[in-house]
Amino acid sequence: MSKGLRAFGYTGLILGCFAFGFAWPDLQHGKLPNTRSVNALFGVKSGAAASPEQQFSHAYSKILTDYIQPVDSTNLKYAGMEGLMAALGDPHTMFLPPVAAEAFNDETRANFGGIGARLGADQLGAKIASVFDGGPAAQAGLKAGNIITAVDGKSVTGKEIDDIVSTIKGKEGTIVRLTVIQSDKPRPVVITIKRARIIAPTVDSKYLSKYQVGYVTVSSFSEPTADQFDKEVAKMETHPLKGLVIDLRDNPGGLLDSACDMLSRFVENKLVVKMKFRDGREESASTIPGFLHQFNYPIAILINEDSASAAEIFSGCMHDYGRAKLVGTHSYGKASVQNVFPLIDRSSAKITIARYYLPITPYFGRKVDQDGVFLTGGLEPDVKAELDPVTVIDPDNPKTDNQLWKAIQLLNPSGAATP
Amino acid sequence: MSDTKKSVFATFGVVMAIGAVYGGVKVREKADVGSLNKATSELSTSHMVASRSNDVNVPAGDYFYELSLKLKEQYVEPVTDDQKLASGAIRGMVASLGDPDSLYYDKDQFRAFLNARVGQYEGIGAELVLSFDHEKSGAKTAPAGSGGESSPDEALVSVRDIPELKVVSVVPGGPAAKAGIKVGDVVDTVDGHWVVQSGLIRQFRIASRKFLEKKLSRVELETQRAVLRKKFDKAIYPSKAKDKLFLGKSGIVNVTWIRGDTTFTTKIAKAPSRLPGFTISGDTVALPFIEGSADKLKAFIQGKNSITIDLRNNTLGDVQVMKQCLEVLAPKGNYGYFVTKRHDSPTALNVLTGNSHPPKVHLITDRSTRGMAEAFALALDHSGLTDKEKLELGGDRFARQIIQLPDGSGYTLVTSAYQVTAPKANRGQAVVAKKGAVK
Repeated sequence: MSKGLRAFGYTGLILGCFAFGFAWPDLQHGKLPNTRSVNALFGVKSGAAASPEQQFSHAYSKILTDYIQPVDSTNLKYAGMEGLMAALGDPHTMFLPPVAAEAFNDETRANFGGIGARLGADQLGAKIASVFDGGPAAQAGLKAGNIITAVDGKSVTGKEIDDIVSTIKGKEGTIVRLTVIQSDKPRPVVITIKRARIIAPTVDSKYLSKYQVGYVTVSSFSEPTADQFDKEVAKMETHPLKGLVIDLRDNPGGLLDSACDMLSRFVENKLVVKMKFRDGREESASTIPGFLHQFNYPIAILINEDSASAAEIFSGCMHDYGRAKLVGTHSYGKASVQNVFPLIDRSSAKITIARYYLPITPYFGRKVDQDGVFLTGGLEPDVKAELDPVTVIDPDNPKTDNQLWKAIQLLNPSGAATP
Repeated sequence: MSDTKKSVFATFGVVMAIGAVYGGVKVREKADVGSLNKATSELSTSHMVASRSNDVNVPAGDYFYELSLKLKEQYVEPVTDDQKLASGAIRGMVASLGDPDSLYYDKDQFRAFLNARVGQYEGIGAELVLSFDHEKSGAKTAPAGSGGESSPDEALVSVRDIPELKVVSVVPGGPAAKAGIKVGDVVDTVDGHWVVQSGLIRQFRIASRKFLEKKLSRVELETQRAVLRKKFDKAIYPSKAKDKLFLGKSGIVNVTWIRGDTTFTTKIAKAPSRLPGFTISGDTVALPFIEGSADKLKAFIQGKNSITIDLRNNTLGDVQVMKQCLEVLAPKGNYGYFVTKRHDSPTALNVLTGNSHPPKVHLITDRSTRGMAEAFALALDHSGLTDKEKLELGGDRFARQIIQLPDGSGYTLVTSAYQVTAPKANRGQAVVAKKGAVK
C-alpha cells in the first residue's frame, strides 16, 4: 500500500471518529444530526440570505434594543411564538404562554367550581344566557339577560368571554364578587356568590303545542347528554308531533363519544367520523347498535357559527345520513384534534395533529386570516337563516326567533301558516 | 517499521481517534448552543419539550427553532415553509408593540410602501395612516387588563382601542385628489364595508349607560344598537381597508369619508400616480428627502440669498437625506435631539461642517409635512434660519428604521422622536408620551 493512501485512510478514520462524536447526541436517539447543527458546523447560512431563525433572532434583538421604549423580552418572545403559530392559518394551532397554559390544564382536569350559569359575549362584559336551576347563581338572584361587568372589582368589559369565564370559575367553596347590570335596577349591583361544583344540564325541551313541534335544546355534549336527550324526547312524544327541532346553536361541542351515543339513536353501525393523522394513520368512530329509536317525524337541527366540534359532527352525520335538515348559519368549522405539548418554561404549544372527516360532507375545517378573521369552513345549512339582530327573542313566541321559526315552517308548513 | 515504532504509532492513532470523537462532541455542543450562556447549554435541542423544570429563560432563537421543529413533527399538514414561520413570528412581535407607526408589511404592502417613499403611489394616490388621534378627544379609556378597582361607570365606556384610517397626504393630480380627498379625511366605509372604529362602539356604551340611568329611551338605544349591528355585519379592520385603498393599479373603490361632522361618498378609480419629486420653480423648491435631493439642493441655493422650501406631501422622508439637506442649509451646530423613552442618552442632530452663509429660508408646510420633514422644519425654524412664520405640521416626529426580509415582506420600527431642545428627563418623556398612550 502506498504511503499516501495509508495517510488518506488514517485521515478518513480520524474524520469518521470526529463525525461520530458530532452525531453522538442524535445517535443516542437513533437519529442522524439535523441540518441545523451540521450547517452551524460548517458556518453555512442557508444560502445568501439569513436563515429564518436568524431573521427572527435579529428582529427580536432589534426590537429589544432599538424600539423607542423598553419592551419586555419575555412578552416579545411569546408574541413572536404566537405569530409563528398563527402563520399556519389554523385557529386551533396556537402558542399558549404560561398563564394561558395553566388555565387550559385546569379546564381539562375539570376540578373547578362555578356559579351555575351559562355566559355569552356582550359589549359590556358577559351576558348571562341561562341560569341553572338550584345553582349558586340562581340562589343569588341572577337571571338570564343580566350583564356581568366586573369580577372581584376588576372590570371585564372588552375582555374575551373565555377569559371572563375563567376568572369567574375557581375553587369550590371560594367567594366571587360580581358587578352586575340588572334591567330592573338603576345602577350596577355587586353580588357575592359562593362557587360550587356544577353539573350542568345539557338538554332542555319545550313542546310548541301551537305548531305541534317538539323543541329540544342541547347545549353541549357531555357524558349524560344522550340519556338526558332520551328523556326529553320521551316527554315530547307524549304529545302529537309533526316534527322535532334540535337546537345546537352556541353548542361548543364536548365529547366525541357523547355525539356517537346520540347518533346511535338515529343510525346503527354507521361511520361517524374518520380521523386522519399526518402520517396517513386513520382512526374512526361509529355508532353503536342497540339504541336505535323510531323517529316517525321529520327533524330539523339549528346551527350557528358557535356550533362547534361534537355539535358539528352530530349535525353533519344527521345531514349526511339524511336524518335531518340543517337550519341557520354556517357552523364554526372545528374539524380537528389538538394535542398540547408542554414547553420548558411552563408555556405550551397546542397543535392540530389530526382532522375529522364526516361520512359524506367534505372537510369543513375553519380557515382564518392572520387577524383571525373567518375565511372558510363550517357546515353549510340546508336552509339559510340569519338571526335578526334587532328583535329581542321572546322564549314564549317562536316567531321572534326567526331561525327557529324557519325550522318550524320546514317541519310543519300548514301549522306554521295558520294564524 | 520496528515493533516499538509500530506500537507508538498505533497508540498515537487511538489517542487521535478518541480525541476526534471528543472534539466532535464538543463542536456539536457549540454548534447547537452557539454563544448562549452556560445556564442554557443543557437545553440545546429537543430537550425543551415535555420538561417541567423551574422557570428557565429560554433564548428566543432556541424557542423559534424548537417550535418550528415541533410543528414540523406534529402538525397535521407538512410544514415546509420556514420563511413563512419566521415572517409570522416577526409579524407577531411587531404587532405586540401596539404601535400604529411600527408595522409589519406583507410582500405587497411592503413594495407599495417602499415605492411611496420615493413618491410612486398606486391605489388611490394618498398616504393613509392608522391613527389614534381620535382617542385623545374621546372618553377616558382604561387599557385592557389594567387591573385594579375600577368603577362600573368607567368599565362601561372603556373600549379596546382600534385606530382610525386617516389621510395624511394626497398626491396632487392623483385619483384621490381628483375625487376631492383632503388631508385629515377619515375612511368610514370601503366598498360597503364599515371600517371598524372604537369611537362608535364607545358612543353606544355611553348610550347604554344613559339608558341604565333612565336618561335615554329603550327605543333610542335599540336604534343605536341596530345601527351598530348592521355596521358590524359588514365590517373590515382598518389595516385591511388600507390595503384596499393603497394597493393595486386598477379597479374602482367606493369610499365613504368623514370630514369633520359630514360624510361623503366617492367612487375612485385606482391608478398609478406620483409626487413631483425634487422640483424647482423660481426661488421655490419642492424638497423630498429621497436619494440625490441634497446634491440638487446644494446646486439650487448657489447665489441665492433667500429661498422657499415646499415640504408639503413629505411624509416618509429618509432620515439620512434629511441630515444631508440640513448640512447644505445650516451652519455648524446642534439642531435638536432624537430621544427615546429608554434610559439612554439622546442622539444629537448635529450639523458637522454646514453652510456658514446660509440663505434665508421660507417654509411651506401643512399637515402633510410629517416625520423627518417635520423634524427638518422644526430644526430650521428653531435655529432662526427661517422667517419664523407659524408652521402647520402633521404632528409626527418619529424616526423609523425600515427592515426588509428575504421574502419581500418587511417592517418599520419607531426608534426615537425628534425634539428641538435638549431633553431634560421629564421633558423628553413628554414628547414621547404618545407612544405610551398607544400601548
